[in-house]
Amino acid sequence: MYVILVYDVNVNRVNKVLKTARRYLTWVQNSVLEGELTEATYRALKNDLTRIIDPEEDSVLFYILGNTKYTKRELLGIKKGGEEWIY
Amino acid sequence: MQKTLYLFANGRLYRKDNTICVEGEKERKYFPVESIRDIYVFGEVDLNKKFIEFAEDKEIILHFFGYYGNYVGTFYPREHYNSGYIILRQAEHYLDSTKRLDLAKRFVQGAVANIVQVLKYYQNRGKDLESYLYAISLLEESVSSVSSVEELMALEGNIRRYYYESFNTILDDTPFILKNRSKRPPTDPLNALISFGNSLVYTKILTEIYKTHLDPRIGYFHTTNFRRFTLNLDVAEIFKPIYADRVLFTLLNKNVIKEDDFENQGGVFLLKERGRRLYVQEFEDKLRTTFYHRRLKRNVSYQTLIRLELYKIEKHLIGEELYEPFVSRW
Repeated sequence: MYVILVYDVNVNRVNKVLKTARRYLTWVQNSVLEGELTEATYRALKNDLTRIIDPEEDSVLFYILGNTKYTKRELLGIKKGGEEWIY
Repeated sequence: MQKTLYLFANGRLYRKDNTICVEGEKERKYFPVESIRDIYVFGEVDLNKKFIEFAEDKEIILHFFGYYGNYVGTFYPREHYNSGYIILRQAEHYLDSTKRLDLAKRFVQGAVANIVQVLKYYQNRGKDLESYLYAISLLEESVSSVSSVEELMALEGNIRRYYYESFNTILDDTPFILKNRSKRPPTDPLNALISFGNSLVYTKILTEIYKTHLDPRIGYFHTTNFRRFTLNLDVAEIFKPIYADRVLFTLLNKNVIKEDDFENQGGVFLLKERGRRLYVQEFEDKLRTTFYHRRLKRNVSYQTLIRLELYKIEKHLIGEELYEPFVSRW
């Protein structure tokens, strides 16, 4: 499944969340990552993040797309980051 | 599905924040470890033991290629599916000459069937390949009657010679000609491209072997020796025509890779970086393509197909079911 992760967390934890998420997903913009995950890796990612965030004041959102066939992605302005597997 | 990372850039490859980081000349890029299956290193990349340890931990295989695109070697992490049982069965099938010849024949039969399939595909598209198909079918009949692996090798070599000759007919709309197959070093662009494609297939299969109990050191058609992995070469016989060669024809017939994507270094032809990138792109697209698998009754990708093939070999070795190689239907 394709996952888009968006987070808004306290500055003290921003780096921790980014570092953890980067193990699973590709960074595309500040506080936004995306990528293809399996059920198991998705669960692992959620577990890791639950341990870091403070549920009282942080917020992490996952948009889950079954596949990317029926979605369209448009970009205005510069490309900050994204998936590249041939680098 | 896990992905493959191809590195053409120069720089440093290291472990950073528990993930994979590539530091190039101007930027630093992170790649998600959890979704990486293997890494192909083409660029001049520095890495350290810490990174190797990390790759071992995450079961990521590293394939290295030299400046000329030649295969250098593989970092094959410590076996994680240790199975003494399968190794013994593998050795048993190698040491028993009838069992070995039987398996070797199956690989060759699979390879020839797929070669024929490729030729038929292009014949349906208006290429006159009748004479090659006929010559190959005559040789194919004698595969079952050979009595030693050496004879089988020779026979397979003859079939391949006809097959490679047919490339000229398939590619008659392009400026490329194949006089004869030359490796180490390739002496014309087409040979360079064939070799490049084949080395990708060999390494892909190695990656998949790592995910099974099989030991890549014991092959059947190719003689097991002190030097290299051989089981992946056996399995590659089946997949080379449908993976590497089909990709090659697509790229050349569509004029994606052109004559100036090669450079001539004193009679030795090399595929330049642009050409390699294009080839790798098309190859990966091919592996990601899925099709309906009749027996499993679900869609599988060409990448997974390699692993299914290896499972069939395991079943053959433990005597559960005789191995029937995959033959493309289209």
